[in-house]
Amino acid sequence: MNAALQGMIDEAKRAWAEQRASGREQITVSIDTSSLARGAEETLAAIRSQAAALNLKVDVRITGTWGMNWLEPTVTVRSAAGTRTVLYGNVTADRVPEFLQATVVEGRDLPELAIGVVDGNATAEVPLLSEHQFMRGQVRRLMANMGTIDPESIEEYLAHEGYEGFGKALEMDAEAIVKHMLDSGLGGRAGGGFPAGRKWDFLRTATADPRYLVCNADEGDPGAWVNRVVMEADPHLVVEGMMIAARAGHAREGYIYIRYEYPLAIARMQKAIDQAYAKGLLGTNILGTGWDFDLIVHRGAGAYVCGEETGLINSIDGYRGMPRIKPPFPAQAGLWNKPTNVNNVESYANAPMIMRNGAEWWANVSNEKEKGTKMFTFSGHVNWPGCVEVPFGPTIRQCLEQWAGGMLEGSRCKGFQPGGPLSGVVTANLDLTLTLDPYRGMGMFLGGGGIVFFDESTCIVDMCKYFLGFCEDESCGRCTTCHGGTQRAVEILRRIQQGGGRESDILNLEKLVQSLVWSNCFHGQFAMTSIKTALKAFRSEWDEHIIEKRCRAGVCDGLIEYVVRAQGEGIDEAADICPTNAFYKDGAGWAIDDALCVRCGACKELAPSSIEVRDRFAARVAAGAAAGG
Amino acid sequence: MQAEPSMQELRELVAEFRPNRGHVMPALHKVQDRYGYIPRVAMDVIARQLNTTPALIYGAATFYTDFRLHPRPETEISWCSGPACRLKGGDRIREAIQQTLEVPLGGESEDGRYGLHIGQCNGTCTEAPQVWVNEKVVGNLTVSKAIRLARDVKGEAE
Repeated sequence: MNAALQGMIDEAKRAWAEQRASGREQITVSIDTSSLARGAEETLAAIRSQAAALNLKVDVRITGTWGMNWLEPTVTVRSAAGTRTVLYGNVTADRVPEFLQATVVEGRDLPELAIGVVDGNATAEVPLLSEHQFMRGQVRRLMANMGTIDPESIEEYLAHEGYEGFGKALEMDAEAIVKHMLDSGLGGRAGGGFPAGRKWDFLRTATADPRYLVCNADEGDPGAWVNRVVMEADPHLVVEGMMIAARAGHAREGYIYIRYEYPLAIARMQKAIDQAYAKGLLGTNILGTGWDFDLIVHRGAGAYVCGEETGLINSIDGYRGMPRIKPPFPAQAGLWNKPTNVNNVESYANAPMIMRNGAEWWANVSNEKEKGTKMFTFSGHVNWPGCVEVPFGPTIRQCLEQWAGGMLEGSRCKGFQPGGPLSGVVTANLDLTLTLDPYRGMGMFLGGGGIVFFDESTCIVDMCKYFLGFCEDESCGRCTTCHGGTQRAVEILRRIQQGGGRESDILNLEKLVQSLVWSNCFHGQFAMTSIKTALKAFRSEWDEHIIEKRCRAGVCDGLIEYVVRAQGEGIDEAADICPTNAFYKDGAGWAIDDALCVRCGACKELAPSSIEVRDRFAARVAAGAAAGG
Repeated sequence: MQAEPSMQELRELVAEFRPNRGHVMPALHKVQDRYGYIPRVAMDVIARQLNTTPALIYGAATFYTDFRLHPRPETEISWCSGPACRLKGGDRIREAIQQTLEVPLGGESEDGRYGLHIGQCNGTCTEAPQVWVNEKVVGNLTVSKAIRLARDVKGEAE
């Protein structure tokens, strides 16, 4: 190991041990975008001010997420002796006084808020965290430091095996590093699964200079926040991973392209990079080895298509973020037409562990063709929106029932979206595994890890319009197949939703499926995946919409109508809340003017028993069929 | 509404950038961070500073939805367009807010005091369906709650 780096690590470990042996209680609050949305900042401020007011001798620290987003704000309390650490959830600012009273002043657990014991013995009231349903079966490698270290401190990262992988890479030549990556079998983590080692080898063997690295942190798939978790909770993993890739690929400069919607991730990555510069881990003559590498955070500005690697490159290049025509591939002519390697955040973040612990250790965690662990986030109609890291290969059933806490009470899984609006929709086939092949077989893909489950209240036509509307908005405009095709598809879907569906629409949608695959980039090629898969998986629902003019979920605005069934409780409030003043007095009672009603449903929320949502056409269609019959 | 910044002020603001196309977005960000939007004149100044054409700067600035060419309204409701929100009635919430504020998605009131913006999912899906009011999350909405929120925003502004 490089002597300067070893010194840094030793010093960081000493400081960490000293901090752990402070003899004070340590209270650690998870601060990330998910917890901030649930009031973690107020919790942190309340803990600080209350501790000061009560003159409590405690260390108050911050950390990344535990992945239990539905329990945020989460806080751990480590006893003064360091023998016991307990994780608490839902510690909102108003609970802080009793929380501190119990955990610090009285030195006991607060079972009401406790999630589990991180360190120490379980009690009758507080079980071990590792036995929590959400934690069982998880293998946390990328997430190993989350909950422990302060993401804004390079010292704490160094004290937890940080930069040791880079230290090993410093002693190896480029070819050996690439071999390690190839042996590990690490596949691209954004859904493609292309071996990262091969990409690195393209860069290593490129003939032009300078060469560039790009980290794709433009996690645009709505419903996915895997990369955000990594960058907000352990940003140095990405820095170190890119340094290793730079050694392997002889790159002189790297860019981390982060989407605009992740301001905290941008701030934490920038801070991590600044700290690495200050330690001499980035810049010129790194650690006295004569090697130079610069790392730059590049902020996106809201364009989904910049998640496509050549769109991203164009964006850094200062052009509009329109994907290029391939070939040439980025490995031949990428950033400023020089050889460029583009990987996802998670792909880079795995590199330090592969170098540190060996390819075999890294790969052995999974029996599947896909090696290593993968992070997934869950959202939609589930009880526990959260983030997990698991070895490849669990079933959807395990994801849904164990880690996502099952469907919301009273709802049944109708289907799910495996990863982003381009990935398609699947029926509730819970025996599918989370590996690449089953989805490829269905003409779709696994995606970056943002799984969205939906229940029977979801209309499949409306979901498709949502996905296609998104693709239309985010089309860069280059290919007519894509920008015209998505627009046409949205028009057809909208007409179906309005009650104007024609039997030829299915055929036309299928034609669009055939046409869009001729688009230049993934965005256009996969824009129709949701319709393609939904037409197969949920065909009867399409027929209902088009032929029977009926939406079983009661969502499509042209196929339903709101009527006043009774002048019962809440009807006056319902009339008052109506944003379009569609309520009018019909004699003594209220009625709804259908021409003004926008089907927002606010009235039904306030007067559920008085307002009825009913099929608009079903009775007429049936009458017509009877008359014609 | 604030006055447009002067050329001189803008020149100083972007003086650090060099004729390097990689500086187009950082320069636009710097202007937007300072003023909350990108004034028309700033594109000329950036083009001159980077030794390129205003058309290239304008092309980049208009391609991305988060570069704003007009000042932000005083109160902005940013509606989350993500799937978790959508599944929980997000689209009906959008419709109701639009009707209440009487502005389309992406629009603002004539006096510029309130507006409705399209927000992108950033993974705070525990709060779905949600909006951001001046970047602060307001979650677990119902349609009626959203209408009351929009009425408050409108009432405050009136």
